[in-house]
Amino acid sequence: MADRAEFLASIRHRTRTGKYKPTHAPDVAWTPKESPPETRLIEDPSARFIEKLEALKGHGFRAESGDEAREYVVSLARSRGAKLLVRWDDEELAGFDAPLADAGVEVAVPRDPEGLREVAGRADVGLSTASWAIAETGSLVLESGQGRGRSVTLLPPTYVAVLRADRILGTVPEAISKYAGGKVPANVCFHTGPSRSGDIEMSLVVGMHGPGDVHVVVVG
Amino acid sequence: METKKPPRQRDTRDRREEGIVSPVEGFNERGRKAAGDKALHDAIQLFTHKSVAGRNAVLNALPEAPELRERAYGIKQRTMANLDRYLEQMADAVEDRGGNVFFADDGEDVVRYIGELARRRGAKVITKSKSMATEEIELNHRLEEDYADLDLEIVETDLGEWIAQLAGDTPSHIVGPILHMNLERVTKILSGAAGENLPPNVQALAAFARKRLRQKFLTADVGITGANFGVAETGTIVTVTNEGNGRLVTSVPPVHVVVMGIEKLIPRFEDLSVFTRLLARSGTGQELTVYTNFVTGPRAEGELDGAEEFHLILMDNGRSKLLGTPFEEALYCIRCGACLNVCPVYRQTGGHAYGSTYSGPIGAVITPLLKGTDEAKDLPHASSLCGACWEACPVGIPLHDLLLKLRNHQVEEGLAGKGQKAAFKVFENTMKSPALYNISRKAGRLAQKPLLKDGSVKPVPGPTSGWTGSRDLPPLAKKSFRELWKEGI
Ligand code: SF4
Repeated sequence: MADRAEFLASIRHRTRTGKYKPTHAPDVAWTPKESPPETRLIEDPSARFIEKLEALKGHGFRAESGDEAREYVVSLARSRGAKLLVRWDDEELAGFDAPLADAGVEVAVPRDPEGLREVAGRADVGLSTASWAIAETGSLVLESGQGRGRSVTLLPPTYVAVLRADRILGTVPEAISKYAGGKVPANVCFHTGPSRSGDIEMSLVVGMHGPGDVHVVVVG
Repeated sequence: METKKPPRQRDTRDRREEGIVSPVEGFNERGRKAAGDKALHDAIQLFTHKSVAGRNAVLNALPEAPELRERAYGIKQRTMANLDRYLEQMADAVEDRGGNVFFADDGEDVVRYIGELARRRGAKVITKSKSMATEEIELNHRLEEDYADLDLEIVETDLGEWIAQLAGDTPSHIVGPILHMNLERVTKILSGAAGENLPPNVQALAAFARKRLRQKFLTADVGITGANFGVAETGTIVTVTNEGNGRLVTSVPPVHVVVMGIEKLIPRFEDLSVFTRLLARSGTGQELTVYTNFVTGPRAEGELDGAEEFHLILMDNGRSKLLGTPFEEALYCIRCGACLNVCPVYRQTGGHAYGSTYSGPIGAVITPLLKGTDEAKDLPHASSLCGACWEACPVGIPLHDLLLKLRNHQVEEGLAGKGQKAAFKVFENTMKSPALYNISRKAGRLAQKPLLKDGSVKPVPGPTSGWTGSRDLPPLAKKSFRELWKEGI
């Protein structure tokens, strides 16, 4: 069993006494080209985000209003024959309950771990918000937190996220800089399109362990 | 900054006089078998071609890629030079967030820690997300053996890894663990697990696996993952997967154990912006994998899932020996698999020929270094030194140069140790003429040529394609790898 102090002391010793200092820079084949990299200004982040998401076999929808977003989710749940939808305990999503119930879809909003465990595995649809989205890659940035079960975005075969257009960032570095140097939630996930696998003969399987049917509604 | 070393000159000496002939018999034997297997050959070609094409496309579309590569190298260099400090920072950050940290000298330490943890938790089912570090120490196997009384069910959850586990097989590629299996074989393996005949259809097979593994995800007592990166500043563990198994394994079970090689550290969270932009692009040709998951400690107050108990195991297992040595750069690897995909040797033999957890150029470098140069001494010779690996590597690790250094190292050891020298003699006959070696080097250079065009790596033509004829060759007498190479294997 390694003792922490000993372990670190041995490493310190090696790094301090090592004679060799690596000298190689990455080689010519990769050295930056003459022209400076163009700054990639994304004119319409929502459009780019949706375009990227669809390229990954996800579905993006631009809703003018909250009402339109709710309509989309209701008709999605209907078209999937959903009986049970599990959602995050988030104010922004509270307005979805009534129209879903009207459409005959039961809505579960787990508020304790047991409750989540009970429903997440059998829900047909998971509904969440997202802290951010990344236009360049079609990714959602999901943060864990109170009432925001990770499995809501993972276990149901259909997953839909609703977020405001002004939450769409341009690039991955922008998204990462949101957490740089600060406090990181217990879980952050860059969720990019439907779950997939290519392990068998490189044939694409969509919806391997996570949801294969992924929708993002961009509001505004 | 120095860009090209003259290593190719350095190795032109004929070393038979010194009693040193490349001891390549282990690799040779396996490599020859592999190169004669048509199905395997086709499978490797399919995977590597697709991967390389995908990689080239996305990296060429990223103008800052070369700059990122230099930064990645610089960050890793700085990390290794101050590894003790960053390890300490990492450990403190994880503990601050309510996690447990354990420093493990070797695989045995890891097995014991997890075994005892499983005992304390009364664990029955353990789910795992693909991790090369745990493959390296044969964690599953050793837990099952050393803790037989616990009757643990350890389940790999990456589709490929699970299939390999069912078949009692090992991964043959860092990224595509079962690229060596065709549909027929997979169908057979999964039918065995199902207890009925499944149709030879990828979607149907995946559906079966999804269903079966879903039960495991939901009932697991402990989830084990590796780490693609560990952020010292925040104590964050980053795992990337496409299937979602990594996120499931860290979200559902009450306990999450991370087995992380100490070299996986990076200092700051913002350094991730460099590495995440390189990793998926280099490995699978994606801009990001589907799930890039950042876990920092156990679930927070009021959260509904995520592990209640979080354990980070920082594993040395031979890594620290390389710090401050000419082999330190081997620790910069982010296990993207790109060097395997472009390697003309890997592309002929596949991963199993290397006889080690890590294959391809990085495997040929890291295996003898971690295990001791006495082990796997054939591996540094399983290379044409064409340099394609170096050029493909998103961290700029001069792999071919490290291979040469390893060979030199063997020479020195060979001269020092009489016993080893005698062992080398056995293979003396395998090396008929130094000219052969020169020809092989020429082939390597030829293979390299198309790689340099537009400064990007293209699927390797030349000697590689010439090798395809080899499948029809009769079994060869004992020949060195270099000879095989000359004959187009
Ligand atoms: S050595 Fe470089 S190219 Fe090879 S797996 Fe590691 S990071 Fe990737």
